[in-house]
Amino acid sequence: MLILGIETATDQVSCAIGGHEGVLALFEVLRGRRHAETLAPAIEMICRQADVTLDEIGAIAVDVGPGLFTGMRVGIATAKAMAQALRVPVIPIASLDLLAFPLRHADRLIATVVDARRDEVYFAFYRQVPGGLQRVTGPAVGSVDDLVGELLARGEESLCVGDGALRHRELIATGARRVEFAEQWLAHPSAAPLVQLAHAKALREEWVPGSAVVPLYLRRPDAEINWATREVAR
Amino acid sequence: MITLLSSSPTDTKAVAAAVAGVVRPGDLILLVGEMGSGKTAFAQGFAAALGVIDPVTSPTFTLVHTYEGRYRVHHADVYRLERMAEVADLAIAELADDKDAVVLVEWGDVVAAGLGHDLLTVRLQPTEVERPEQRVITVSGAGDRWADRWPRVQAALAAWVG
Repeated sequence: MLILGIETATDQVSCAIGGHEGVLALFEVLRGRRHAETLAPAIEMICRQADVTLDEIGAIAVDVGPGLFTGMRVGIATAKAMAQALRVPVIPIASLDLLAFPLRHADRLIATVVDARRDEVYFAFYRQVPGGLQRVTGPAVGSVDDLVGELLARGEESLCVGDGALRHRELIATGARRVEFAEQWLAHPSAAPLVQLAHAKALREEWVPGSAVVPLYLRRPDAEINWATREVAR
Repeated sequence: MITLLSSSPTDTKAVAAAVAGVVRPGDLILLVGEMGSGKTAFAQGFAAALGVIDPVTSPTFTLVHTYEGRYRVHHADVYRLERMAEVADLAIAELADDKDAVVLVEWGDVVAAGLGHDLLTVRLQPTEVERPEQRVITVSGAGDRWADRWPRVQAALAAWVG
């Protein structure tokens, strides 16, 4: 089965086609135009270059964050629309898991950190286990200090990856000490690990209908706004 | 906190222009006050002072309007929203992260929790029934971004302080 992967949860826009042979085509651009203008032409291009027609796509994988809402609304809307039109299921995967996946052979704590803007970060910690990675903390949203506190509490050597880790590199390095940073080119989730992880899930039919896909909100999304002021006005 | 008196919508626009004189890209300003208290008038005066030529209208039904001036001005309104997930979808924090932009959020006080520490809050309140155009405006800053600039904010608004 071929899987189309759509990745827009950070500044990088990426899409890929993959299956049991691995990744057949991959597009990544970090400093492009806006997500909406880049994504659809990129999907069209990788399909053409890999000689894949859309009716061969058996599932759509999409990064559901946490990440940029300006980006995710483009990627998730595209995934939902294509899934509905092609009558295929969607495999949602978290951005923090995608960042950890390429580092799964590291024998130390892996901290994935996505920039949440306004001096906050989304983060999760992972540890190597036989056969893959296990998430041991998070996903959480908090200040850089919160992240440093969690790293200090763990008290072990760690490897930080993600655009949030790079943006706040100095603060993290000074606060948490025994920490190293992964390469810059691993700092944004890519559609390559997305289709690879999704393929394993597709074999187990771990998918959902497009209508069920929502971004991963970490700030109490169901909380109602306390509209005391507005009710007075009404 | 600075408390000042505006005599009319035109005066409120002048106050907004004075605030616009001290803003920096990345600033996030919450506009608070009931319907008709002058939030949009403030936004109009603010945008005009930053060189926006397009007419500034209430974004209540379209949620976010973006104008180009000396800085980009994102003008959002959360009045129609019911849940925090909808606020997240507007990506206000990301708009404020734009290096060339400032963000105004009408009714923003109720959703401040997700917007970080550095905020300027402008509250507009009607005064007496006999003076329907008069408003008490309070301006308060939170976070280092505003603490550093507070004397300049006070100087800019001194003309309206009682």
